[in-house]
Formats: sequence, structure tokens, C-alpha cells
Amino acid sequence: MDQVHGLKQILGANLLTSREQKIPFQTDASYFQGQEPLAVALPENVKQVREVIKFCQEHSIPVVVRGGGTALTGSSIPFKDFIVLSMAKFDKIIEVKPEDRYAIVEPGVKLDALNQYLANFGHFYPPDPASSMAASVGGSISTNAGGLRASLYGTTRNWVLGLEVVLPNGEIVKVGGKVLKRTAGYDLTSMFVGAEGTLGVVTKAILKIWPLPESKGRILAYYDTIDKVGKAISKLKGKGITPLIAEFLDRISMDSLSKTRGLKFPDEVDYMLIVDLSSTRESIDRELSDAAEVLKEFGPVSIKITTDPTEMDRIYEARKGAYSSLLSERESNSERVVIGDIVVPASELSAALKESEEKVKEHHLKVALFGHISDGNIHANIYADLDNREHMERIDRFQIDFGKIAIKHGGSVSAEHGIGIEKKELLEMELEETGSQYTMEIMKTIRKAFDPNGIMNRGKMFD
Amino acid sequence: MTESLLQKLEAEVGKCISCGFCESVCPTLSPSGYDLWKGARGRVLVAKELAKDLRSGSDGILHVSDSFYSCLDCYACLYVCPAGVNAGIVSHTSREIIASGMLPENENPVAKMIVSTTMKYLNPLGVREKASKWAEGLNFNDNSPDLLYTGNMFQLMPYTKSLNSLRNLMGRRMSKFMAGLVGKHPPLIGFISNRRDRDLDARMSQSLRNIVELLESSGLNVKYLGSNEPYPGTFIYDLGYADQFRIYAEKVTKILKDSGAKRIITIDPHTFDLLKNTYPKFVRDFDFEVVHYIDLIKDLDFGKSGEKVTFHEPCHLVLRECPYNSPMDLLRQTSEVILPARSGRKTRCCGGPNELLFPELSEKISEQRYGELRETGASRVVTACPICFTNLAKDEKTIEISDFLIEKLRK
Ligand SMILES: Cc1cc2nc3c(=O)[nH]c(=O)nc-3n(C[C@H](O)[C@H](O)[C@H](O)COP(=O)(O)OP(=O)(O)OC[C@H]3O[C@@H](n4cnc5c(N)ncnc54)[C@H](O)[C@@H]3O)c2cc1C
Ligand code: SF4
Ligand code: SF4
Repeated sequence: MDQVHGLKQILGANLLTSREQKIPFQTDASYFQGQEPLAVALPENVKQVREVIKFCQEHSIPVVVRGGGTALTGSSIPFKDFIVLSMAKFDKIIEVKPEDRYAIVEPGVKLDALNQYLANFGHFYPPDPASSMAASVGGSISTNAGGLRASLYGTTRNWVLGLEVVLPNGEIVKVGGKVLKRTAGYDLTSMFVGAEGTLGVVTKAILKIWPLPESKGRILAYYDTIDKVGKAISKLKGKGITPLIAEFLDRISMDSLSKTRGLKFPDEVDYMLIVDLSSTRESIDRELSDAAEVLKEFGPVSIKITTDPTEMDRIYEARKGAYSSLLSERESNSERVVIGDIVVPASELSAALKESEEKVKEHHLKVALFGHISDGNIHANIYADLDNREHMERIDRFQIDFGKIAIKHGGSVSAEHGIGIEKKELLEMELEETGSQYTMEIMKTIRKAFDPNGIMNRGKMFD
Repeated sequence: MTESLLQKLEAEVGKCISCGFCESVCPTLSPSGYDLWKGARGRVLVAKELAKDLRSGSDGILHVSDSFYSCLDCYACLYVCPAGVNAGIVSHTSREIIASGMLPENENPVAKMIVSTTMKYLNPLGVREKASKWAEGLNFNDNSPDLLYTGNMFQLMPYTKSLNSLRNLMGRRMSKFMAGLVGKHPPLIGFISNRRDRDLDARMSQSLRNIVELLESSGLNVKYLGSNEPYPGTFIYDLGYADQFRIYAEKVTKILKDSGAKRIITIDPHTFDLLKNTYPKFVRDFDFEVVHYIDLIKDLDFGKSGEKVTFHEPCHLVLRECPYNSPMDLLRQTSEVILPARSGRKTRCCGGPNELLFPELSEKISEQRYGELRETGASRVVTACPICFTNLAKDEKTIEISDFLIEKLRK
């Protein structure tokens, strides 16, 4: 209680201590259930963040930073007697400078809100996880979020120019800056990207922004085998065409979208490929038709080009909502959809997809496959009955096998969702199987250098 | 009864996957300082815990009242939820559980006060008599099958506004004590309700008279119950007192039936929604045709001006299962309407429903919404609900739709 009293002196009404108020902070979007934290801190300025961190350091209290709480790996939930440090009140967009291609924002700003604002300047911030409505700038930086547009623009890492961070010892540091180029020592900015709140608290971010594309077009191609989908996209990229978006959906995903969004798909097809290109008004039609010619080489059941903005928006929103739509196919309320998230080089996609399908059958699971195919990212959406232990164990075994497929083909066990609690074992497996055990030692050394007492997100990522 | 409520709650919260999408649209979250239990996902998660406790017969009492009573029942959360959860329904069901007596320590004294005075006086503040003053001098047609039903909503606004300044004077604890006292002795409401905001009273009366003029211009000479007109019971329903609401709604239905009316013309979104969607579920022989007055004046010639106005769409019209868009359609015929960033199925509540129980929160929500409306750059902000008007009338730019339409009609 002394500790709570000490924190109260720093935060006043910005500290929540009642059991009831703490309940919602014990959960993120994963299937892991957190435990009751000691208290929830809702600081409203950097000074308060710093004081809280210093206090926790002095008293060895573990801290978990929380942004939008949409993590799928359990990375933002507290264990018993943690302090939850919610960055929600850091919700301002500080500066937008299109001519210099940057925006300075606080970490609690939601990605959709940021893009809505940037649209006034004819610009956008490309990282677009399907959770962009609820995911925060700080959380998406700390998980290096990807999304649909990562095909062309890459993940969050490519869009963070600089950060202000409160380190675990209470120091406030500024890394990176407003410029698009910088070669001045180690790239510390990148180190905080994907760090899942283990190295410090992001309190401000300088983000790179980009002009909205002038013109966009979409190709919808349907195939009867997953092999053809993988090969088609590899060939496309081999020809030097980088789509803005390239997504695939399987039949279960299409059926759920038909049910929830009233979209119509041809009956006899098993896979859908969505390829978006962005270009100038003058050349978009030619580029779309070139790309369609490549896709046709792999014998699509049907193929269609559209540049109608309404139809394009409808399909984009539908693909973004694909995970959500799968929920309509749940058999009971205790069922969740657990997302597997691996990545392989695009040329290995076809083989990796085929092997993934075989593993689904072998483990007798109901799984919908879709993903950001252009960058080799496959999501296995597994229907999981949380109350059924045997079923959950089978899912764990599938996740290991799914991870092994990624490693075998030169990829990774985590493409864009991070490690959290869920993938600690898989991370170790990846490093072991690729002979990179020493990488783990480096990561541990870095973490220890920043946070010798290990208060930041203790028990997550690696021990 | 309580078992069925618990099952209903479990079914609704069980669907939630905790994605947090609903938090991004919930109007109460940021004004409450991101205290998550006053946001949509938080309400669902707190209700999940509550259901678990109730099911296991746990002794530990959860003090959850503020989480659920602060929900505005706007339903904005439903339209972004991938799992089809309505955190508004979760809050409502939880309030019903509280009101059923299962969690006595969670009952809100102001809520209880409102219910007991409404049950006694057929008006939450016991001002039914005064609520007919606006109509003095007007001629109604007692033989008409059309009943103008104001539900006392416009008339109550000047009192609630004064009540809040009184609460500010008394402080939170004293107000709760007073509310508890009045809850037990309803006649004491007279001490509270003898104050009203006179400017607002004049404005609301004028809006009511304008509505009558609009109807008359459309050739409708309606009947009106005057001081006999009961409040529809919205608060009793919203606060979760389902048993009392059933009794109350039957009383109101009898009064309406005795008037000989066939068609009920409602003039505010709350009464329209309640009579159209809720009364038929509670009162077996509620067989009136319920309409909104805007549908009856659509053919009038309001002319078309180039004025740029913005419209605050009421939750009870556009966030219900079948959205009702006639006010906006009509407005579009008269002027250029620029909608704020949050409109349609994403409209943001004005905070009004929180005015009596959480006045400070209500004020912050209304400021946020008013800011959004002004950002459109429109010359005026049009509202179509007396509660929205009262909450959003931050300056002279806000205007009630009936006042706006009369102005256009007379031009
Ligand atoms: C329906 C759904 C769809 C999704 N789709 C995608 C997708 O397409 N692509 C994708 O990449 N992800 C996706 N995700 C995962 C998730 O949304 C992302 O990981 C997101 O970036 C997390 O952001 P957040 O603000 O919710 O972070 P949180 O969940 O709050 O936190 C995530 C991690 O970041 C840390 N953190 C948060 N804020 C800070 C800060 N200011 N400083 C330091 N550390 C911080 C936390 O401690 C935690 O470790 C999806 C999730 C859902 C529920
Ligand atoms: S949007 Fe729906 S599923 Fe997501 S947290 Fe809210 S209620 Fe739960
Ligand atoms: S009904 Fe409105 S106030 Fe209530 S939880 Fe949903 S969005 Fe929030």
C-alpha cells in the first residue's frame, strides 16, 4: 500500500486503484488473461512518466506499457502486482509538415485518427494493421506493425524517423530526428521499434508521412489451388511489379465475408487474390493490364480489373475485416480465433502454403488462411475452443509446426504481431534452428543494459 | 427473472474478443480521462467479471455502478464491433440486474429518486402541470385522431439545467444525500423543481409552438393532453427498472387510449424510439401508429437557400436498427448540409443522457461534440432533439430544427 501511496503522490487522480477500474486493463486482444495489477497509471505528461518509472525502478515494481491494448500476443497485459502504464492521455498530433514529410505525434494517437487528420494535407502514414481503428502509434511502433500496405511501403520500422523515450532508469532520450536521412552512430530509433515496451516508454514519435497515391486500381483473381496463387505473386514480383497491396483469402474467409458483408464470390473457386497497384493517372491502366497478363499465366478461374473507388473501398474494408468476419463462423462463445503469423520469402510462398494446408489437416483443425502475400506473410486463423484443453494443446503443436515451416523456408515465426507471451518458445526455436543463439545473448545484454532490474514488461518476449 | 437477465448478459459479453475497436468510438471514454471502465470495452469486461461473480456466488461485491450508469445507450459501439456486441445493451442489462435488487450497494440514489418521483407524478420532477404552459392560447382539436405527444421532454430541459447548477452548489455528496431523501419521500421533489432556467424555458416553449405551427401549415389540427400528458417513462426504462417500467408504460398507454387517439405524433427522438420500439414489447395492446412529426411536414415549401449548416444526428434516430433519416433529408432540401467527421452510423452522442447522473462528464462530451460540429465551418448547428439542443447550445449558432424550419417557411 505504501507503494500505491507513493504513486498517488506523483499522479493524483491519474492513478486508478480500485479492483473494478483495473479489470479492463487486464486484457488485450489475445486469448491470454492478465492478472490484477497493483495500480493503473494514466500519466498526462512526460514528467509524470519519468517519475512513475523512477519510482517503479526504486521499488522494483514491474511495469507494462499499454497503448490501444490490441496486441494479439499478450504483450500488453499485466501480471500480478504490475503497474500498467497507459499512454492513452498522450493523444495529441503535435505538428504536421508535409514539405518535410514528417508528423510529430504522441503515442496514444490512434492510427485511423492520425490518417484522418493527415488526409487534410493530402498525406498519409502507411502502416495499416487491420486494427488501425484502435491501435495506437506507440503500440504499433513497439510491435513494428505491418498491415495491407506493407507490400509496397514496408512495416512501421520504415516510417519512424525519431523518438522521445523515457528509459527504464528515468532518463529522457531523443533518438533520430526530423530528417529523412541520418547516419550518426547506431540506429537506436530502430531498436525501440518492435521492442514491446521492454526498453523504455515511447512518449513522442516523429513519423515519416507520404503523399496519397494519385491513382489506384485493383485486380481480383480467383484460383483453384493455393500453389497457383503463390506462383502468380512470385512471378509478378519477379517481373519488377510491386503491388500496393497483395492479399489472398481462402474459401472459409470468403464465405465468412459473404455472410457478414454480403460480398459475392464465384462458387467454384477456393482462393482469391487481391492485387492493388498505385501509379499516376496516365499509366495506371497500362500497369494494371500488364499485371493482369502475368496473373493470367497461372490459369485463374476468373479475373477482373476495377478502378471504381466505391468498389475498391468495399473490398479493402472487407479484407481488413476478414479476421473479424471469421468470428461469425464460431460455433460457441468460448471459441476464439487465434492467429498464426509467419513470413517466408515470396518465392517460397507456394511451397509454404501447401505445407501449411497439410499441417492443418494433420492436426484436425479448422483454419482459415489469408495473408499479406506480397511480402510472404501468411496468417493461419485457427478456431480455438479455449475451454477444451486437448484442443488447445493441438493448436500449440500446430503453431510449432507452422513456425517450423517458416524457418525451413528462410522466414520467421513472427511477421508482424510480435512475441509477447505467445511466441517466446517459438522465438527461441527460430534462433536455435537458424544457428543464431548468440543473437539471443545480444538481445539479453541490450535489455539488461537498459533495464538491469528487469522491470519493463517482465516475462514477455524472452526471460 | 434474475437468472434470465444473467443469461442475457453472459450471452452478450461472451461474444466479445476484446479487440478494443469499440473504444475508438465510445463518447464517454476520452472525456472520462481514458478510465477504461467508462468506455465500451471496459463495460463489457467489467460485466463479464460481474457475471462470473454472480454465477459463482462470490461474496466480493463489485462496485460497478458508475461503469454502467455512465453509458449513454448511444449504440455507436455496436456498429464497429466485429463480434456484434452491443456494449449499450451490456450496460442496460447490468443496470437491470442492479435495479432487480441483486446488488443493492450498486443502486444509484439519483436514479432511484427519478424512478420514484416519476412513478408518483407521471413526470420525473413532478412538474406535469407546469409542462403544459407553453400551449396556453393555442387551439387544439379534441376530436382529431392525431395526438401530439410531447412526452414533456422539451419542457423538462429548463428544470434539469437548473438542477445541475443546484448540484454544483451542493457538491456531490450532498446531492446524493438529497436524492436519497427524495427517493424515499417523493413530495420533497418540490424543493428541487421550483427552479428552472427561464431563458431556456422560453426557447423550448417557442420550439413547441413552432412544431404546432408546422403541423397546422401541413393541414393538421391535432389534439393535445395538456396538463394530463404523462412523461413516457424513458428514464425508468433507461435506468433498468424494467418491472416498474412495465407498470408505468401500461398507465401511460391507458391515458393515451382514453384520449381516443389513433395516431401518436412524437416530436423528440427518445419518445419516438421508446414508443415505436420498446412500448410494444412491454404493453400487449399498444397498437397505436407512432410517427415522427417531421414525416408529416415534408411537403411544405421551405425554399432552398445556400446556407451551409451542419446537423447533429440524434443517436436514437440513426443508431437504432432501422435508421430514421427524415430530419436530415428535409434539412438537405432547405440548405447545404455539411456533416461532421462523425456522422451517420458513427455519429457521436451529445452526452445529454448523462446530464442528471454524471453532469461533469456530460459537459465534457458535449464540448467535444460541439467542437467537431464547428470544425465543419458551417454557419449554424442544427439539432433535432431537446436534449441535444440543451447540451450543444454553447452559443447562438445552435438551433433546434423546428425553429430552423419555421424560419425557412416564413421567408
Ligand atoms: C482485429 C485485429 C487485427 C490485427 N491486425 C494486425 C495487422 O494486420 N498487422 C499487424 O501488424 N498487427 C495486427 N494486429 C495486432 C495489433 O493490433 C498490433 O500489434 C498493434 O500495433 C498494437 O498496437 P496497440 O496500440 O494496441 O498496442 P498494445 O497492445 O497496447 O501494446 C503492444 C505492445 O507495445 C507496447 N507499447 C504500447 N505503447 C507503448 C509505448 N508508448 N512505449 C513503449 N511500449 C509501448 C506494449 O507494452 C506491448 O508490448 C491486429 C489486432 C487485432 C485485434
Ligand atoms: S468491439 Fe466488440 S469484440 Fe471488440 S472489444 Fe468491443 S465489444 Fe468486444
Ligand atoms: S452505448 Fe455508447 S456510451 Fe455506451 S458503451 Fe456503447 S458507445 Fe459507449
